[in-house]
Amino acid sequence: MTGKEPGADSLLSRISQKLRAGGKVYGILGLLIMICVYTAASTDRFLLSGNIENLVHRTALFGILSIGAAFVIITGGIDLSIGSVVCLVGVLLPFLLTKHDWTVPAAVGAILMISLVIGLVHGLLVTKLRLQPFVVTLCGLLFYRGLARGITNDQSQGFGSGFQELRLIAKGRIPILGDAEGAFQLPATTLVLIVLAIVAAVFLNKTIYGRYLLALGNNPEAARYSGINTDRMVLLAYAICSMLAGVGGMLFVLDINAAQPSDFGNFYELYAIAAAVLGGCSLRGGEGSIIGVVIGSAVMVVLSNTINLVHPNYQNVEFAIIGAVILSGAVVDELVRRWLSARRAGMKVG
Amino acid sequence: MLLRKIFALVFSVHLLVSFGCGSKNAGGTPEAQGASLAFVSNGVADFWTIAGQGAMKAGEELGVKVTVVMPNGMTDQTRKMEDLLTRGIDGIAISPINSINQIDILNKAAAESILITHDSDAPESDRVMYIGMDNYIAGLMCGELVRKALPEGGEVMILIGRADQDNSSRRRQGCIDAILGREPDSSRNDPLGDPMTSEDGKFTVLGTLTDQFDRAKGKANAEDALTRHPNIAAFVGLFTYNPPLAMEALRGAGKLGEVKVIAFDEDEISLQGIIDGTVTGTVVQDPYAYGYESICVLNELYKKNNSVIPENKFIDIPARVIDSSNVEEFWADLKKKTGR
Repeated sequence: MTGKEPGADSLLSRISQKLRAGGKVYGILGLLIMICVYTAASTDRFLLSGNIENLVHRTALFGILSIGAAFVIITGGIDLSIGSVVCLVGVLLPFLLTKHDWTVPAAVGAILMISLVIGLVHGLLVTKLRLQPFVVTLCGLLFYRGLARGITNDQSQGFGSGFQELRLIAKGRIPILGDAEGAFQLPATTLVLIVLAIVAAVFLNKTIYGRYLLALGNNPEAARYSGINTDRMVLLAYAICSMLAGVGGMLFVLDINAAQPSDFGNFYELYAIAAAVLGGCSLRGGEGSIIGVVIGSAVMVVLSNTINLVHPNYQNVEFAIIGAVILSGAVVDELVRRWLSARRAGMKVG
Repeated sequence: MLLRKIFALVFSVHLLVSFGCGSKNAGGTPEAQGASLAFVSNGVADFWTIAGQGAMKAGEELGVKVTVVMPNGMTDQTRKMEDLLTRGIDGIAISPINSINQIDILNKAAAESILITHDSDAPESDRVMYIGMDNYIAGLMCGELVRKALPEGGEVMILIGRADQDNSSRRRQGCIDAILGREPDSSRNDPLGDPMTSEDGKFTVLGTLTDQFDRAKGKANAEDALTRHPNIAAFVGLFTYNPPLAMEALRGAGKLGEVKVIAFDEDEISLQGIIDGTVTGTVVQDPYAYGYESICVLNELYKKNNSVIPENKFIDIPARVIDSSNVEEFWADLKKKTGR
């Protein structure tokens, strides 16, 4: 702020900030629409209600993980342990329920507790010991998967044909458009995502703590000097991330019905981080929008579906295609931003 | 890394049976639009590349469209199945990673399409039939090779990719039962870690080490076993890539030839080992036939010809023992069929 025209200036900067954040969301939304249009034009199976249900459902599962990742990224941190937490939780839930006959509330409660503790430990190591988040969560990645494999003796853990009611949380379909044959039914996981996304978005944008998180990511020093308890905010971000990984992990295993300790959740942290970055989070911290992150997850999910439906013979290059599309999205986004800011600078000079 | 490259380059195998589907539609005229069928593996491996070739070959001969799917893990396998069904696929042949817990998607596939299993069965599902071999019997054959390699007995370590698939657990159990000289009983399921000794005290199975298809881990498993058990007398490698990794570990420790290697499947390195005398023998499956037969059978089922379903719902593609007596003949035939 220059001090000359404080009101107008701050309004201007607020509008331009809004536009910038919104621009990213529109960018990613455009990418998603482009991929959907391409796929729908290539195969008439894409728009079948069953497929849309699958896509919405998968987006919900990955979206939950990605929202968690976004919180940590917004503070300028990173969490590489998400996939391994998904794995640990994914094997623990059936392990506790079927092998040890725990009740559902006890097992779910214990798992949420474990996820919370994991996040708090990450946060404490990052804030109190000043360890780098990359190191802390990389060790977490190794530790939790090893733990999962050790606890289960490397055996898949599954529900078999049991726990059908509990599994409805992940598998259920709600007939919002009536129950006619082929009518779209909303996957129950979508509700979980919607609730979590709204809470996250309100928290991030409308509460003082959310503002603190963004401030912290933008400039940790400044945030600290302005009296924000930054350590507590970092702790909060890691706790949210691991909790959401725990919730996501439970939904994943309830959906798939079993988890193999060796590969369950492999690379999911990278999907989550990619979705968060696609959705407008800057790895430098201080930026991010929840809706963008959810759309980012959808892009990854739909791309994979596109390859399966339209180019099934190119499945072995799936990762290459996803990587290339995300990278080109990021490049176009950056170029557009530069072009816009150059124009803005030009206008100011003019 | 080099090892991986070698694996990627090395071999593709067709086996001894001469194939032919019941009704050929030679050439596959484009106007006679055939079925759209899928062959789904349980992972990414050379074994599956060969099986995929068999499936594609059958597709070519029958004029049907074949999609070969090699998923990464169980979640991916389930997702890919869902997407195949969305595509409106006419038939799927799958090697389920964890049949008991994949029952929902298997039954969904059986309801919306035609589902058969290959390589690893899912008897509790609504699949029409199973094409493969009895892995327990193949495991017994492998265990017999161990006894032959070690007339005086000794300590044996088992190396395997995964132990929780139906096929691998049966194969492993058969191998253990034969080594320990027990009465065959495929319902046993010995734990992975505990050493077990035969009644006469001659043979000890030290345990089973899994690597989850991670080759580097597989080699490290063999190396660490050598470090921990200096008296180890034999390695059994139960997945295609396990025996060559055991050989690498033994070469590094200067024990190649001293410690016996008993193989499974027909990796070229294993076959060369049999010729060189560093590998006692191998038990071979027929991946090419899995792929080929699966597509042939699916096509017949698609045409509503249910006479291809045997009474026991099982088409046996039996295993064979390859040792120094027949390895050259087997390998020559293999090379001829793969054009290498």
